[in-house]
Amino acid sequence: MNAEIHARAQKLIAQERVEGISQAEREWLAAHLRGCASCAQDAQRTSDALRDLRGGMTVTVPRGLAERTRFRVQLRAQELREREPKSRLLWIMCAVSWALGIASAPYVWQAIQWIGDRTGAPRLVLEFGFGLWWAIPALFAAAIVVMENLRQANERNSSGR
Amino acid sequence: MMDDSKALAKGLQRRDPELLDQLIEQYQYRLFRYLVHLTASRERAEDFFQETWIRVLERGHQYDGKHKFEAWLFTIARNLVIDWQRSKKMQSLEELTEREEGAAKEFPMNEPSALHLLLSEEERSGVHEALARVPAIYREVLLLRFQEELGLEEIAGVLAAPLSTVKSRLYRGLEALKGAMQGGAA
Repeated sequence: MNAEIHARAQKLIAQERVEGISQAEREWLAAHLRGCASCAQDAQRTSDALRDLRGGMTVTVPRGLAERTRFRVQLRAQELREREPKSRLLWIMCAVSWALGIASAPYVWQAIQWIGDRTGAPRLVLEFGFGLWWAIPALFAAAIVVMENLRQANERNSSGR
Repeated sequence: MMDDSKALAKGLQRRDPELLDQLIEQYQYRLFRYLVHLTASRERAEDFFQETWIRVLERGHQYDGKHKFEAWLFTIARNLVIDWQRSKKMQSLEELTEREEGAAKEFPMNEPSALHLLLSEEERSGVHEALARVPAIYREVLLLRFQEELGLEEIAGVLAAPLSTVKSRLYRGLEALKGAMQGGAA
């Protein structure tokens, strides 16, 4: 047998474990292993190594770790539950603000135009002012969300490791 | 299985306390074992174990139920460890462990390997010693594949690495493990 055949067999031995091989390849490999002691030994070594890896690596979980974790998780869940109404209120306020913004848009534009007539401000400035009227609630909500996230991250850092 | 995963995803979204208790109980061994191998320290593994479950609570809505829960759990755990290493201005796990294609670096000398720590507590066995000689990035994929029995794509998800990288690490890791079990250097 030439070296290429042994190389193919060794490749298939590994491939079978890592990603699987086809039925034809399996049959070819089995036939080869029956007639090749060194490849059969390699296949056996691979099987032994993986069997030991699956069954021989024991770790003892520290006593009480699961209970301590449950306790911390429950505390955190409680914190989150308490915080939920606040964030819900924030979103309700934003929604109301947007709804009012939409409802009052024609009047606001009339008011801005009136100011523009009185002051002679360019139309671009008036439009920018009108845009701000729409953007402010969103900017406000985004700022609060960012601040809340930063606060939570700080909390985690100070209570963590 | 898919129905179970969907139910799990819904429960996590609701932050169902009973479900979380059950998951902690069910996955405590596997998660702790994974963290011990990842952090090389039982004490740190304990901290990260707790942090991981808190993160599961907080980010439960991100679990889509389309993948195995344990793959998602290990991803969270691994990301926490990497974030911590970065925040401590340590090398990332990749840097800490080795160059992808070249000879591997082991854990620094002042950081005893988790496997060595385990050996002091548990019966010495060939596989412990052999695995300790396998470069850490290969060890991680070997453990995820053959101990945690994750699929190749799930491992790629946990590692945030391409499938080809996962396969290449597995082949190299398998060779290294066989070599180490024969008593040679990995």
